[in-house]
Amino acid sequence: MMFPNLFSPLKLGTVEVKNRISFQPHLTNLAVGNLPSEKQMYYWGERAKGGAGLIITEEMSVHPTDMSYEKLIDVYHPEVIEGFKKITDYVHQYDAKIFAQLNHNGQQGDGSISRLPVWAPSPMPDVLFRETPKEMEPEDIEEVARYFAKSAIHVREGGFDGIELQFGHSSLARQFLSPLTNFRSDEYGGSLENRLRAPLKFIAAVRKAVGKDFPLGVRMCADEMIPGGLDLAQVQEICAQLEASGLIDFMDLSIATFYNLYLVEGSMHTPLGYTIPLAAGVREKIKLPVFCTGRINDPVMAEKVLASGQADMIGMCRALICDPHLPKKAFEGRLDDIRYCIACNQGCIGRIGMNKLLGCVQNPAVGREKEWGEGTLKPAAVKKKVAIVGGGPGGMWAAKMAGRRGHDVTLYDRNENLGGQVLTAMKGAGRDEFGVIIRNEKSQVDKSGAKVKLGVEVTTEQLLATKPDVVIIATGSVPKEHPVGGADGPSIYNVLQVLNNEAADLGQNVCLIDYDGHQRAAATAEFLANQGKKVHMITSSLFIGAELGPTQDLYLTRQRLLQKGVTFTPDIAVIEVGGEAGAKTVKGFNVYSNIWDEWGPFDSLVLAMGQRVEDSLYMSLKGKVDELYRVGDSVAPRKVDMAIWEGHKIGREI
Amino acid sequence: MPDNNLNILVLLRECSDPRPPAKVITRGAGISERGLRRIANPADLSALEEALVLKDRLGAVVTVLAMGPQRLDDLLHLAASLGADRCIRCWDHGMDGGDATADARVLSRLIKILAPALIFSGSRLPDRGDDPVPALAAALSRIPCLAAVTELTLGNNNVKALRKVDRGGYQEVAAPLPCVVLFEEGAVPRYPSVEAVTAAVATGVEKWNLASLGLPFWEVGASGAILPLAEFGVPRPDPIRVVTPDAQLPAFERIISLLSGGIKSREGRLHSGSLDETVAGIWQILVEEGVAT
Repeated sequence: MMFPNLFSPLKLGTVEVKNRISFQPHLTNLAVGNLPSEKQMYYWGERAKGGAGLIITEEMSVHPTDMSYEKLIDVYHPEVIEGFKKITDYVHQYDAKIFAQLNHNGQQGDGSISRLPVWAPSPMPDVLFRETPKEMEPEDIEEVARYFAKSAIHVREGGFDGIELQFGHSSLARQFLSPLTNFRSDEYGGSLENRLRAPLKFIAAVRKAVGKDFPLGVRMCADEMIPGGLDLAQVQEICAQLEASGLIDFMDLSIATFYNLYLVEGSMHTPLGYTIPLAAGVREKIKLPVFCTGRINDPVMAEKVLASGQADMIGMCRALICDPHLPKKAFEGRLDDIRYCIACNQGCIGRIGMNKLLGCVQNPAVGREKEWGEGTLKPAAVKKKVAIVGGGPGGMWAAKMAGRRGHDVTLYDRNENLGGQVLTAMKGAGRDEFGVIIRNEKSQVDKSGAKVKLGVEVTTEQLLATKPDVVIIATGSVPKEHPVGGADGPSIYNVLQVLNNEAADLGQNVCLIDYDGHQRAAATAEFLANQGKKVHMITSSLFIGAELGPTQDLYLTRQRLLQKGVTFTPDIAVIEVGGEAGAKTVKGFNVYSNIWDEWGPFDSLVLAMGQRVEDSLYMSLKGKVDELYRVGDSVAPRKVDMAIWEGHKIGREI
Repeated sequence: MPDNNLNILVLLRECSDPRPPAKVITRGAGISERGLRRIANPADLSALEEALVLKDRLGAVVTVLAMGPQRLDDLLHLAASLGADRCIRCWDHGMDGGDATADARVLSRLIKILAPALIFSGSRLPDRGDDPVPALAAALSRIPCLAAVTELTLGNNNVKALRKVDRGGYQEVAAPLPCVVLFEEGAVPRYPSVEAVTAAVATGVEKWNLASLGLPFWEVGASGAILPLAEFGVPRPDPIRVVTPDAQLPAFERIISLLSGGIKSREGRLHSGSLDETVAGIWQILVEEGVAT
């Protein structure tokens, strides 16, 4: 076997988990009416089917004062048991174990949904939610402990195999432990012994409720990563004391908090496995099984972590959202078939943070496992001859899905390589992992039986001559030719030209006009700054990188841009660009004050001012083939998630 | 003095090569097959060499025995090429899963049938250490067993042996025949000639099973074993020491310092100036760094 450590069993208390892969807790927004839903059953079930040994559910709220997110399960209501039973039965049929995570978010929430004050150790507002909480009275602490116990009983009756208590990045327990949020002068604050009192009370209450033979663990924040907060040395001591209490069976770990959320769910720019040393540090001090989570998206890396004794269990979260069947594929040695997560954070955290249902750029089936999960793809009733033009993500997905269903598929692309705009996007600074999207699908297109014709600029006549039953246009989009007055002048380039090194005379002093707010602009600015150029960015938004917040890219991107000397001018609607080559100027007005201004001279201008559809082929084929569809940017220029979504959908439907 | 009645039985066992790192399997007890190299137990080959020396000197008849599956035929072919007269491989699927007592029952039965005057084998195995099977078989056959032997002298109806004892001491012991002698790894096995190797492959290996031994299956193998496996644990690999980075560093830099194990990469320096200044500057750096003088 390729991964002997990864596929060896592990005992967590009284339960044996068949392998070392744990699907880690994360918000899904899939609950309905604060009760477990069918969508959740299929969502977690798909990961069990895919071979994960352990599934830990998303956090469930143990107390009415904790309703930070609208779509949490209120586990303190007995009505949850019925839904739990359906979920646990479904998961158990795939020989996986399922634990429930219980949490009270304390001050890391607000009362806008619950209409109740939030409770915390001290009246210290959270950096993200900014609502001053109510300082908990000793009776409140007792009440939360009672609610933890009550919830634990519901979990056990619901058929779960164990419980994890969230003491990590977003939790009341961590707020008690951290000197940054606990300023109490009573028996719950001050010394470490006192700060541990409330968390230990929660653990003891749950342990008493579920009995000795029920696995119970804690998810600790391994390091708050902020001066004055908990650091590894303190957490090692806390973990040792929790172990010494004899009440818990395992130690799951997370990292950072809301001060630095970009580390809780590290994006593409964060190194793979960035939390491994912290897990190793905790494991150094305790004998309980230690979990490690954080950009471990690869069984090879996971095996290495286990073999070198850095952790006992590998927590995979985004890796299994992206490819639920990663464990099974790793077990069978089919590494080629694994769809690796790229930590773009657009579909998962990017959507969850905006209160949308969980998604994944690369996996359209997330949250729709019942309709689109494994085993739902049926062979086509009528085998058709399908021509797909455009080998970007949308075209590749359409080809893959249609090919798998038995259609006779030919995929055309004018480039020498598959990938479309991804080939350019991956050239942005620190964005090379974006190219993994192509790597993931290329082999799947080949395996689906679809024929790939590269380097072919296919015309309407050529297409019609092949007499296709179905034509799918996935020709993408191109930068707008005239997004602003004067854009046809000299020394003006678009982002694609810059990244593809087609911009001849950029010079040293470049101005980038950012109407994108996302990586298209930011990663290009950094790409230029990396070449030692002086870059100035002008945007109509409040700030540069306005779209990068939800994906947790904002902080580090802005940090890097500033470190590299990039300067920003926000609030400006650019109306005209002009000037000679080498002395370019930008004219615009402040959108709030309406005062006009001019910037320059710059050696050159780079425009990230929008795309337009490339639909000429679609228009000329209209009415000439039986079935004509278009997907992705050739419908309307959007992001890669929609190209994949539409490619996938059309591949299923034709 | 040639003694044509001197029958020597040599027990050959295989072991795993201890040099490449072996992995313990985590489901059940045992060593992972992955990357495993099996070799003849070096001490057993020394014992065979001792037997062959006696054959050369006294004309003894050397029978080589292996207990195990078909791959052991390679060991027996090697023994034949070195000069063993008879090769027996005793195996039956009923013997699978046996402990030392069950295997000793088989060996003692073989000793009874073959009735050798001397039973030779190695004292230790490099992968497992001691193997109690020959000693237990000797006890079952009610014959003496000499372990850790470095030299053997054949007397009249008895043997004298020099054996290692603790603290580097030696002990001379005597035992009547028949007896079991377990040698330390010492005598260097001879090299077979190419002709002998070719001939040995053609030499048949006698295959014995439980029926030929007349042993009931419930006395051997897993059903005859009295040592059940209750639990098997793999030791936790040593945890890796982690340096706690400076808590005053910004979060992302702490991550980087954790991942690098506390090692900070050296930053580059940017110099500008004319060609001569640049050359002088580079030279200055090289001098400062101790690269040039």
